[in-house]
Amino acid sequence: MPGNPGTIDASAVELFKAKAKLATIVIAEVKDLAAAIDYAIEVTEKSELGKLMPTKAGTIPPSDPNRKKTLTAPSISDADYAVLAQKGEAKGFTMIRSGLRQYLAGIDVGFTVADIGIAETATSACENDSEDYRLASMISETHVLALAKSKIVKTSYDAVSYLKEAFGREHNYTSFISGPSRTADIERVLTLGVHGPLYMHIALMEE
Amino acid sequence: MAESMKNYHDSLKEALEDSFLRKTLDTFAVQYKVNRANIFADMNATELINEIADHKDKAMLKLDELYQQFVEQASKKGLHIHRASTAQEANDIICNIAKENNVKKIIKSKSMTAEETHVNHALEANGFEVVETDLGEWIIQLRHEGPTHMVMPAIHLSRYQVADTFSEATKQDQDSDIGKLVKVARYELRAHFADADMGISGANFAIADSGTIGICTNEGNGRLTTTLPRVHVAICGIDKIVPNIEDALRIIQVLPRNATAQAITTYVSWISGSSNCEINSDKRKIFHLVFLDNGRTSLLKDPKCGQALRCVRCGACANVCPVYRLVGGHKMGYVYIGAIGLILTYFFHGHDRAKNLIQNCINCHACKDICAAGIDLPGIIQEIRARLVEEEGSPISSTLLAKVMTNRKLFHTLLKFGKFAQKPMTSGKFVRHLPTIFAGDQSFRSLPAIASESFRDRFAKLNASAQGTPKVGIFAGCAQDFVYPEQLESAVKILQAKGAGVAFPYEQSCCGLPLQMMGEREAAKKTAKANVDAFSNSNVDYIVTLCASCASHMKDHYTELTGDDPSYKDKTAKYLSKLIDFSSLAKNVLKVTEDDFINRGAKVAYHSPCHLCRGLGVTKEPRELIGLAGEYVPTAEEDVCCGFGGTYTMKFPEISSTVLALKLKNVEEGSKDGIKPELLVTDCPGCIMQLRGGEHKHGDKVKVQHISEFLGHNLKSK
Ligand code: SF4
Ligand code: SF4
Repeated sequence: MPGNPGTIDASAVELFKAKAKLATIVIAEVKDLAAAIDYAIEVTEKSELGKLMPTKAGTIPPSDPNRKKTLTAPSISDADYAVLAQKGEAKGFTMIRSGLRQYLAGIDVGFTVADIGIAETATSACENDSEDYRLASMISETHVLALAKSKIVKTSYDAVSYLKEAFGREHNYTSFISGPSRTADIERVLTLGVHGPLYMHIALMEE
Repeated sequence: MAESMKNYHDSLKEALEDSFLRKTLDTFAVQYKVNRANIFADMNATELINEIADHKDKAMLKLDELYQQFVEQASKKGLHIHRASTAQEANDIICNIAKENNVKKIIKSKSMTAEETHVNHALEANGFEVVETDLGEWIIQLRHEGPTHMVMPAIHLSRYQVADTFSEATKQDQDSDIGKLVKVARYELRAHFADADMGISGANFAIADSGTIGICTNEGNGRLTTTLPRVHVAICGIDKIVPNIEDALRIIQVLPRNATAQAITTYVSWISGSSNCEINSDKRKIFHLVFLDNGRTSLLKDPKCGQALRCVRCGACANVCPVYRLVGGHKMGYVYIGAIGLILTYFFHGHDRAKNLIQNCINCHACKDICAAGIDLPGIIQEIRARLVEEEGSPISSTLLAKVMTNRKLFHTLLKFGKFAQKPMTSGKFVRHLPTIFAGDQSFRSLPAIASESFRDRFAKLNASAQGTPKVGIFAGCAQDFVYPEQLESAVKILQAKGAGVAFPYEQSCCGLPLQMMGEREAAKKTAKANVDAFSNSNVDYIVTLCASCASHMKDHYTELTGDDPSYKDKTAKYLSKLIDFSSLAKNVLKVTEDDFINRGAKVAYHSPCHLCRGLGVTKEPRELIGLAGEYVPTAEEDVCCGFGGTYTMKFPEISSTVLALKLKNVEEGSKDGIKPELLVTDCPGCIMQLRGGEHKHGDKVKVQHISEFLGHNLKSK
């Protein structure tokens, strides 16, 4: 793993924040994972109720006019999820842990934790072989991602050992995510949220 | 089927008249350069590009080995690997995978390789439903068109056209607001993602040492395509194999920056083996990879053109191409677009399809200058022209020219005869009535008259002293020898004023560039050797040319053109080591200063000739020289081609004239702070022919001069 556990490269963190701004990523600085979970709850609360996709596709549930906001976090530990679920349900959100394929009509907020950050491009990298993990960061209108400051390296080359370890596994799907989904395919006008999230937040954790 | 040249011209005309396309590509051309410069601001782009080129070349040398390594690694992880030697074979493999897995609907994320094989046609012919999910690709799929840019496939369409297309597709009126149109795609395509059985993607990388593929996308459709359907088929050229992750990361440093001036694409997916897929019984994706050869193995062995396989498909060679800017991708490529499109059409899609396209390059070097993989694109384009001439024989006009130009005496006699023949047609310095073969087409700018006395006839009368330091030999080049001798005379004046000795070896001839451009290789070799011989006994310290095109052609090609005769090895090396352009000679060798000139405060714009700024890398000197004898007025796009390109202007007058019009507009508009130039200075006689001729038609608002004339005119007499 790059970066010594617990040590923070302050200049890398600053660079990450600067580049994140250019990539239309909202940065929040929080103490730890518990605070990042609170942040995800807060973002969900503040977000507008996402419009479900009015589609004819079979696996998409018919849209419900009285539906509640949805929050998913398939990849965090059971203990962390229990905390999140309790807080989310208290706010009246529908909490989803797995089977995200059933929710292709849209989820309001997806919460995931990244393995490492690459400062020069504001990239968050994570091993996400689990399809639910991948979908949480794709079909949610807003993606909230937690990243420990100590896991931020300067350049992609500093992430080589991390990547080699990941690619060496029997099955592996590793993703680099560097902002909300974007396109400029119509008249070269930059537009966010074409297939993936419209908004991306990163909660940078001190520990 | 081969398209006739006439049809090609007709379609070019159509593109030139598409005002939306013209406006879009104009804005794009200007913004792209600014954005690219910004995103590379704190990096050494050249060094990175050289590293990419170097690593790509090394990987291509051991491609077989890397391929084996990839197969071994990836098969262990449950990836089924196929190798297709032709496009047809690749399509058959993909159709079979679909059949075996009982597939009905297929979604695709963007892949140029899939475009190359036209896999959609094959799949649809076999009854499968295929839906493109990249927004641009989906738009053109609905319109039954091909891409017009490798990265932005629908760049040629306006929001109104897209709204019409979407209205038709959804059977519902759609607003032309871009944000809303993107939402339409999000909704419609999400449904397709949900019920597709198979996803087809491309791959930007196949990493040999771990059996991993890498896919770069911005929209996220690549991630969904590789996640939702139960079957995933990736298709990629064998040239996409890289040894390790470091190589892939290096390419990612440049690819998105060059493509869209982004530091990185929003998503990069690295897939090693079959990933989790909940709807398959073993919870694992059925994952196939089709490696496409389609001519790549033989291209690999091609010593002159093999470097085309370094291409990382960033699309930048189109972004900076003055021809692409005017006519767009449908006319500047077949599947692949821009400079690399001209080249790959020849190698992947047949010589007939490439025949006309390959002629449509001005040789401005803008693509070579920006290429993410450092490919000598214009060099390969010329090589292909030569091969087509060898395969199909020359057009009569070009054979004739080749014959004449390799016989120096005949060529020069004809040029001299030309000045009598043109007599009844000239008016002052321009040809008044054009001979009928040029009429119409060439009327966008006046053509210069052949001088009444050539430089070679005038030189003796100049009484120039050969004694002095340094001793400078003049390479005249046809244009200045026979059309603009006064430019050379002015240079002689400056050389002598600074104490240099001047020599003019009479046996020199045309540099051979026009022959090279037409693919007349043998003739180009002969003239190259004649020139090296002409200077080999002249004992000069420098060989100066006032023609940037001659200089860059000699520098880039003489070693190769004289290389078949070992006795030229040293002679040519010596010749090239002495070769220098006039501005560098004046500034760095003669070391002229403001004390040498009377500065009359003339407002002077500068046109940076392609073959000087990119061909020779000279950019500072001419601008500094202007400042010594006048006031330099910076204008927009100084380093964009003037549209001349030698024989190009004769072959494609409709494009040449439009490029020229853009150039003159930028000059006449003056600097950002509103200073209008009275003079336009440049240092290549070809550009002068084009610019002066254009200004003449434009009412001579700005006077065009060679930098030697400008300096000579303001030289203090001692
Ligand atoms: S040399 Fe110039 S005209 Fe030719 S393909 Fe490259 S950019 Fe286009
Ligand atoms: S040839 Fe060079 S500039 Fe053109 S697409 Fe390929 S890598 Fe990019």
